[in-house]
Amino acid sequence: MATGEVWREPEVLDTDVAVVGSGGAGLMCVLHALTARPELDVTVVSKGAVGRSGCTRMVQGGYNAVLDPDDSVDLHLRDTVQGGKFLNDQSLARTLVDDAPRVINELETRVGCFFDRRPDGRIHQKAFAGQAFDRTVHRGDLTGIEIMGRLRDQMFRLGPRELEDVRALDLVHDAEGELAGLTALNVRTGDPLVLRARVVVVATGGSATMYRVAAPAREKTGDGVAMCWRAGLPMRDMEMLQFHPTGLLAGKSRMTGAVLEEGLRGAGAHLYNAAGERYMARYDAERMERSTRDVVARAGYLEIMAGRGTDEGGVLIDISHLGSGEVERCFPGMVARTRQIEQDLAIGPVQVSPTAHFHMGGVLIDADGRTDVDGLLVAGEDAGGTHGANRLGGNGVAESTVFGARAGDTAARLARQRRLRTPERTEVNASLARAYAPLTRSLGPWPFDLTRRLKELMWRSVGVVRDGASLEHAGKELDALADEIEHIAVPGPPQVNFAWQEALDLANQVTVARAMAHAAAWRTETRGAHARSDFPDTDARPRYLVQRAAGDGPTGAIESEVRDVEFSHLRPADLDGRPGS
Amino acid sequence: MADTADADTNAGGLVRVTVTRSVEGTRSEFLVARIRPMTVLDALLAVQREHDPALAFRFSCRVGMCGTCTVRVDGRSALACQTEIPADTDRIRVDPLAGLPVVRDLIVDTGPFWQAWASVRPYLVPGEDADVGMDAEPAVIAPDSAERRAIDPALDCIGCAACFSSCGIASAHRDFVGPAALNRAMVLVADSRDSATAERLEVVGAESGVDRCHYIYGCTAACPKGLDPARAIRRLRGRRFRGDR
Repeated sequence: MATGEVWREPEVLDTDVAVVGSGGAGLMCVLHALTARPELDVTVVSKGAVGRSGCTRMVQGGYNAVLDPDDSVDLHLRDTVQGGKFLNDQSLARTLVDDAPRVINELETRVGCFFDRRPDGRIHQKAFAGQAFDRTVHRGDLTGIEIMGRLRDQMFRLGPRELEDVRALDLVHDAEGELAGLTALNVRTGDPLVLRARVVVVATGGSATMYRVAAPAREKTGDGVAMCWRAGLPMRDMEMLQFHPTGLLAGKSRMTGAVLEEGLRGAGAHLYNAAGERYMARYDAERMERSTRDVVARAGYLEIMAGRGTDEGGVLIDISHLGSGEVERCFPGMVARTRQIEQDLAIGPVQVSPTAHFHMGGVLIDADGRTDVDGLLVAGEDAGGTHGANRLGGNGVAESTVFGARAGDTAARLARQRRLRTPERTEVNASLARAYAPLTRSLGPWPFDLTRRLKELMWRSVGVVRDGASLEHAGKELDALADEIEHIAVPGPPQVNFAWQEALDLANQVTVARAMAHAAAWRTETRGAHARSDFPDTDARPRYLVQRAAGDGPTGAIESEVRDVEFSHLRPADLDGRPGS
Repeated sequence: MADTADADTNAGGLVRVTVTRSVEGTRSEFLVARIRPMTVLDALLAVQREHDPALAFRFSCRVGMCGTCTVRVDGRSALACQTEIPADTDRIRVDPLAGLPVVRDLIVDTGPFWQAWASVRPYLVPGEDADVGMDAEPAVIAPDSAERRAIDPALDCIGCAACFSSCGIASAHRDFVGPAALNRAMVLVADSRDSATAERLEVVGAESGVDRCHYIYGCTAACPKGLDPARAIRRLRGRRFRGDR
């Protein structure tokens, strides 16, 4: 395929810092880079609408930060590491808890957020599951709108270049192999773009949409992780995919999988199976519904699989014993969400199922967002390690904003040291050839059925509870899917073509899914979000798998090595006797 | 592809979806299977997946938080993901938002909406002597204070432009910044942490500001988050005349 026949000669754009993604991590990065050095040229590359894509926007419950003198960052660290089943990179977890209160300060005083207050006028903090102190900062039950709305407004003050509806494709390098920038595709015009950048920050969010029942926004198709995978970066904890215990069941409607927030369980909601048993007593008699997400999601899944679920394949959450007025007052967003699907949280039980929610795994980074590649930073859900084997509710938006901010600081420093480089023509062409291929084929499947197949396969074989045989099956099926993706044909034109965009999303999802299935087959134990029915016990010593691409193409080989977790701040023995340990 | 648009619309379990297309010669009527529950977004996704992958519309979160799937459903501006197709409805018409240039099919260029929004200086401007940043203490403001009683019900705007589209003045390009931008202005004017009140009131009081509003309440009726931009506009008018927050 010759350049020029299928795509136009790419426009070349120079910038100091290219930020891929416009959610909490991406926009905090822009804020910090331009606060540190207002003269920088910063470009936001966003597949969807800037500030209105991704999942920070969708945060309901809130943001964990230590603000109360009776709380402590040590306690927050203990909760985070205990929740993560000691798989966490403890230096990243430490950074998270240390910076979270400071980012709350910044969100309030500079960004303009206003979180709910106590009667004395200070920030109110509510209870969230798996935490020894009530430390979750919130704005009603729609916290993400306040954070992302205000952050988006900051962009009007700061004025970064916004490339909206522009999909990042691949990281590209110069003749010396140094990072030079990225290739991209303007979704509206269908034209390619090359961004030369001193620093690239990848902050696109995770890939949990690859499951049949899934919570995230549509953009979250593992684009950042897949891009880094193709560039050969090392990843960790890829098998660790969190299922939120309470996703709505709404039949075939797209609403299925949308989360009913964690705060419901914090406030005293009960979970019942179809026989009316409060089944959490069987799984965590001490903490019951306030146990961590991994335990509650697994319990629900096992009840459903044991035939104790509802006809629609769910269990029931009930908070109506608090009184309908109280439920409406505390959880207006959740009540509205259930009424919309012909149920009502305020007056009775609502059907829920575990729903794919958050990917703990991702690119290896240090506390400043740096990766193995000079000039490349990764922040938010695209990075791995902070949450270990399970993320606590309220630590997600904390991660995206804390590490987005740090990446912005690092990017401002790095932009001084790195010069603009010219990407290798062959690399640019290879990237664009891959992207435009579905448009060039006249015969082949549409992507929609293949996406459905991926979602079903991941749900059944790499889902809430896994075993060796199903993971082996998944590995083969994913290779077959990766092959079929190479044959997808979509009817033109290149402008605003969502079938084409879905084909590109799917290729990224399958890339990430292969690494997930491979890592899940390696981990022959049960830890946090990763449950193996054939290996139900947890090893004494936590280890993690570092994987990277060892071959080109969607079915290329995977190279991996096993590492021991470093107990730099906490050892398992430090938590002996703690509830839930 | 199965072409069922000519089949009997009253046959059980089908919804006829009529979509305004921007590309000449493209089909605009489709029959999709009814599911329960079913939103307008579900219907559009069914059309795209089963009939015409080139149908262009935007969505992200599908739970009413991103504000990107706004369209007109049978003439009313609404979020596609939050608009249920009732069991007794067997046909819907979907048009792009009014008052904004169409990019393709149901996708509009929201640029004019955001330009209006940006004109009111929509971000917090802390006072000169205010402590700002990661080591600054958040303000102590009681939740039942007058300012919070004014602001809190006006938060949670998702920038969906449903109010802009349903406002007869804003959508007709009659030089009006529109309800959402004025609502944001009110939120900031009432906020004791903000110091740009004078400048903002100048924008709000200018020709394209509050005086363009004719109190038809299209905005308040259309807001998917239950906000009341008309109240914000009334408040800003009062603020201009009386000098209270």
